[in-house]
Amino acid sequence: MAVSHDVGQQLGDLVATAHRIRQAIESVIEGKTDAVRLTLTVLLAEGHLLIEDVPGVGKTMLAKALARSIDCPVRRVQFTPDLLPSDITGVSAYNQQTREFEFKPGPVFANIVVGDEINRASPKTQSALLECMEEHQVTVDGATYHLDTPFMVIATQNPIEMEGTYPLPEAQRDRFTARIAMGYPAPAAELEMLDVHGAASPLDKLEPVATTAEVRALIEAVRAVYVSHPIKRYAVDLVTATRHSPDLRLGASPRSTLQLVRAARAHAALSGRDYVIPDDLQELAVPVLAHRLLPSVEAQGQRRHPEQVVAELVRRVPVPEAQASGPGGVGPGR
Amino acid sequence: MRLPIASGLATAAVAATLYPLFAGGTWFVSGLGAILVITAMGVFASHFAFPRWLVPLTGLAVLWIYLTVVFAGDDAWARVVPTRDSALALMELVGTAFEDIQRFAAPVPSNEAITLLTTGGIGIIAVIVDFLAARMRRAALAGLPLLALFVVPAEIVTDPIGWPAFILAALGYTGLLLADGRERIGHWGRAVLVRRVGGITRGNPDAGQLRLSGKRIGVTAIALAILLPGLLPTLEPNPMFGFGVGSGPGRGGNTISIPNPIVSMRGYLTLPENATVLTYSSSDSAPHYMRIWSLDLFTGEQWTMTPPTGSPQNRVENGPLPSPPGQGSAVPVKRSESTIQISDDIDELQFLPLPYPASRVVAEGDWRADRSTLMVFSTRDYASGLKYQVATDRPAPTPAMLNAAGVPDPEVAERYLRLPRDVHPRIREQAEDVTREADTPYEQAVALQEWFTKTGNFTYDLRTQGHSSSALYDFLINSRVGYCEQFSAGMAVMARILGIPARVAIGYTGGSSIGGGSWQVGTHDMHAWPELYFEGVGWLAFEPTPSGGLGQGTARAPDYSLPPVQEPGDSSSSPSPTDSSSPEAGTATGGPDATRNPRALDREGALAPVTVDEGTPLLAQIGAGLVVLLLILLIPASLRVVARSRRRRMIARPPVESTAVADDSGGTTGATAGRIRVDRRAASVSAAWAELDDALYDYGMSRPASETPRALARRLTESCGFDALSTAAIDRIASATERMLFARTPGEIRPLAEDLDRVRRSLAATVSRGRRIRAVLLPPSTLRRLRGMGERLLDGFDRLENLRVRRPSRKPV
Repeated sequence: MAVSHDVGQQLGDLVATAHRIRQAIESVIEGKTDAVRLTLTVLLAEGHLLIEDVPGVGKTMLAKALARSIDCPVRRVQFTPDLLPSDITGVSAYNQQTREFEFKPGPVFANIVVGDEINRASPKTQSALLECMEEHQVTVDGATYHLDTPFMVIATQNPIEMEGTYPLPEAQRDRFTARIAMGYPAPAAELEMLDVHGAASPLDKLEPVATTAEVRALIEAVRAVYVSHPIKRYAVDLVTATRHSPDLRLGASPRSTLQLVRAARAHAALSGRDYVIPDDLQELAVPVLAHRLLPSVEAQGQRRHPEQVVAELVRRVPVPEAQASGPGGVGPGR
Repeated sequence: MRLPIASGLATAAVAATLYPLFAGGTWFVSGLGAILVITAMGVFASHFAFPRWLVPLTGLAVLWIYLTVVFAGDDAWARVVPTRDSALALMELVGTAFEDIQRFAAPVPSNEAITLLTTGGIGIIAVIVDFLAARMRRAALAGLPLLALFVVPAEIVTDPIGWPAFILAALGYTGLLLADGRERIGHWGRAVLVRRVGGITRGNPDAGQLRLSGKRIGVTAIALAILLPGLLPTLEPNPMFGFGVGSGPGRGGNTISIPNPIVSMRGYLTLPENATVLTYSSSDSAPHYMRIWSLDLFTGEQWTMTPPTGSPQNRVENGPLPSPPGQGSAVPVKRSESTIQISDDIDELQFLPLPYPASRVVAEGDWRADRSTLMVFSTRDYASGLKYQVATDRPAPTPAMLNAAGVPDPEVAERYLRLPRDVHPRIREQAEDVTREADTPYEQAVALQEWFTKTGNFTYDLRTQGHSSSALYDFLINSRVGYCEQFSAGMAVMARILGIPARVAIGYTGGSSIGGGSWQVGTHDMHAWPELYFEGVGWLAFEPTPSGGLGQGTARAPDYSLPPVQEPGDSSSSPSPTDSSSPEAGTATGGPDATRNPRALDREGALAPVTVDEGTPLLAQIGAGLVVLLLILLIPASLRVVARSRRRRMIARPPVESTAVADDSGGTTGATAGRIRVDRRAASVSAAWAELDDALYDYGMSRPASETPRALARRLTESCGFDALSTAAIDRIASATERMLFARTPGEIRPLAEDLDRVRRSLAATVSRGRRIRAVLLPPSTLRRLRGMGERLLDGFDRLENLRVRRPSRKPV
C-alpha cells in the first residue's frame, strides 16, 4: 500500500470537515451522536445506510440533514407500492425535436439518494436499486450510465411488522453497509426539539458545510487508512463466527467482511487514526453485520435478535494479541 | 461396531501386563492372535446382529478353532476343523502346561504348553469382555475380567509391574468405557440435537464434548495416579505398582530387599540374650563361616549390593549351583556336607546362610542362586525354620598357587575394582605403605590382614560410630578403632586400591560348638569379612577383624590368609567359642590384648551400617516431606519470578531511533538492522503487555479474550479508580501495544517499565492483602500457563485420536 506522506494533513482535514458536518446535522437532530457518527462513517466508507425505526423518530430528517449539509445534488424518492423501477433509474423518452430517444435520468442520479420507506415498494422496484448501489451505475435500454462519486443511498424503513411493507430481500439488505435504529430521543432532547422546531423547520436554515470535492478527498484519505494483517484476520474471525453460531440460520457474507473493514477504516479516520484497531471493528460489528443475519428457529423462539447474537460474538471472539514470540504471550482461548 | 473393537483393544492392553510372567514373547503374539480372532468375530456378530446369547458361544467356538489351528493343526482335519485327535492333543498340552506351572515360577519359559494355556486364558477373557461390553452393554462390568487378568502378574511376580504397563492397561479400560459412553450418548442424543443447515448435517456437538471431557478426566486421573505418589515424598515412590515393595514385609511374593532383613535382624541383635539363629552340623565337624550377603558396591560411604538375579534354571533344586567364579580345577578342595537348621524365630530372611562356595543346596522352596556371587535367595519363600543341606567345595590353595594367580578376569575386575573417585589419597598411600614388601597380590592381601590384626595397632571397639567416607579415613588413618564393619570395609577398599578384586561378605561366623559335631550360631555371631579374588582360585575369605578375646569372639582367620611365618599362640587359628553373656558393652582400649565384649558387638548394631541406611527418624522424614512439598508449591512462584525478570529485561531494551522507523517504513530498503530494532521494540512492547496481562490475572481482574488494549485501559481507569498518573501510564501501555500491533509504523514508543510498575502498584492497591500474597506465592497466571500446557497436551491426544480412519458414514441406528 502506497504511503502518502501527508496522511497526517489529510487526516486533520478529514476530522475537521467531519466535525463540521456532524455539528450541522446535530443542529437539526438532537441527542443522536452515535447515529450521526455512524452515518458519516458509512458515507466515508462509500457505503449505503439503512435507517430502520418506527415512524416519526427523525429517520428522514437525518437523511435530509446529511444531504443538506453537503453541497451536492440530493434526490429523494418516496417508495410506494406502485413505484416502478423506471421511476428510480430514469427512462428513455422520445424527443420529437431530435427524433431520438433521450435518457431522462431518474432520481438515482445524485450524490445522495434518500429512499424513504423503502420497504413499501414492491420487490421489483427495490431490486432496481441493487445495481446502482453495488456497481454505481445504471443500465437502461442497454446503455450504461455511471453515477457520480460520492454516491450514497440512505434508505429508511419501518420495522417489517408494520402494515403494507414488503421485507427487503436478503440480497438487498446485504448491500447496505450498515443499519441503524434511531430510537426515541431522550426526554431532554425531545423537550429541546419542541423549542427549536416549534417555530420553523431547522432544516431550512441548514447551510452546506462541505463540498462534493471535499467529501471525495475525505474518501480518498479513508482509503489510505492502514489495516494490519491481524485486524483483517480479526474481521474474518468475527464474520466466520456468525457463520458458525448456532443461533443464526444465515451468517454474514464475504461482502460484509469487506464492508466491515471499509467501515472500520472510515471509523478509524474519523477518530483521527491512520490505522484500524480492533475497537473500530467491535463498535461497527453490530450495525454492519446484524441486519444481514437470519436468526435460527431456536433463537427466534428465545427472542434473541441478531443484534444480541452479534454483540455476544464480539464479546467472545478473541482480539488479536501480541505475537507468540513475546514471552508468555497469552494465546487466545480455544 | 465400535464396542467389540474397544473390547479387543482393552483386552490386548491388559494382556500386555502379563509380560513379567514369561521369559519369551511368543505367548503375546499368539494371545494377540486370539484377541484378534475374537474381535473379528465380535465385529461380525455386531454387523449381522447375532442374538446376544449366541455370541459368547460363537466366540468360544472360534477360539477353539484358533487354538486347534495354532497348537494342534497336525491332528485337525485340514489343519482347521477340530477333531477328536486334535482335542486330545490340546488337552494333553493343557495338562503339561499345568504341570509346568506347578514346576516353574515366574518368569516361566514360554514353551508351547504354557503358550497354549495363556492364549486360551486371554481368549476366554476376550470373549467375556466382548460379551459384557458389547452384548450386555455393561462396559464397567467388563473391567472385572480385565482386572482378573491384571491381577495375575501382581499376585505372582515379585517385580512390580512397570508404570508404562499400568498406563497401557488403564488406557485400554478407559477406552472401552469411552466407547461405551459414546455409543450411548450417540443413541439418545441424536434425535434432539441434530440440526440441518443447508442440507449439511452437523455433527452432534454434545456427544463430542462429553467424549472429550470423559477422555480428559480419564487421562488426567491416570496421570495423577502415576505422578502423585511419586511427588509425595513421605510415601513409597510407587506404592501403586510396588506390589511387593510397598505392601510391607510378610506377604507373599515380596521382592528381594536387603534393608528389611537387616533391620529385622537388628531387632534380634538387640535382644538381651544371644538368640540362636541357626545350628548346623558338618561332615568335617569344623566351623564354617555362614555367608548371607555379598556386597559388591562401594559408594564411598558404605557397601551395598546389586540386587541378585536368578533365572529359573538357577533354582537350587535343578542341580548343582553354578561353579564358583574363578575357581580353577587345579585347586585342591575340601569337600564337606552340612545340614543347617534355621531357627523358627528368624523372620523375613530371604537369603540362605551358606558356607562359601556352596556347590549344591537341597532346600524346600523356590531358592535360586545368583550366578556371580552364589548367594542363594528366594523371592517367595523365607528361610525361617528351614532345614537344608549344603555341600561345599572349599578351596584349600597353597601359597604357591596364590602367588601364581594371574591377572583377574576383566569382568570381575570391572565389577570388583570399582572405587569412588574421592578415596582419600592418604588411604592409598597407607595401602601402598603396608604392602611395600609384598610382591604378589596374595602377599599384599596377607600383609593387609596382618596389618589390620596385628601391626596396625587397631583396636576393636563396638562403639564406633559413623560410616561415611570420612569415617573410613578416620578408621584407617587416625583412630584405628572399630569393629568388623570397619575392618572388613577397610580391607576391601584397600585391596581394591591395590588392584585385588574385593567384596564384603556378611553373615555369621562359625559359631560355637554344642558338641556332637554341631555348631550353634547366635545373633551375636553376626559378622562381616572381606572376600578377595585370585584368578584361578576364586574368592577367598580374609579376616582382618581381631579375633579372640579382644576382637570378634568366634572369628577365625583361614590358614591361607596367615603369613608363612606364624607365631605360636596367635589368636586366630583355632575356633574359640563365644562366651555367652556379659552385659556391658566393650569399652576396650589399647592393643589387641585388651579385653573385649563379644556381646556388645551385636548390641551396637554391628553390621547394619554397612548395608543399610538406618533411615531418618519419622519427624525428620515428615519435615523433609513438608519442605519438599513447600518447594513444589513454590515452583509456580519461582516460574513467575523468572518470567517477570525475563520480560523486564526485554522491556528495558533501548528504544529505537526514528531513523530506523523511517528505514523500515520505506519497506523497500533492506535495512535489516532497522528491522531488528523494530522487532526488538515489538518484543519489548509485547513483553510489557504480557506482563500486564499476567499481573491482572494474578490480581483476579482477568481480561476477557475479546477486550482490546484500549477497552482494558478504560475499564481499569473506571473500575480501579486510577489517579491521573496511573491513567496516563496504562494509556501509554495500551497505546503502545495498539500501535505495535496494528499501525503501519508504531511511531515513538517510550520505555514502558516505569509505566508498568506504576500500573501494577495501582492495581495492587485495589485488591485485598490475601490476594496480593497469593499473587506472589501462588500466582494464578503461572497456573494458567501450566493448565494451558496441559490443555495442549490433551489436545495432542485428541488429535492423535482423530487420526483414526473414519468409516464411511452409515445411517445411525
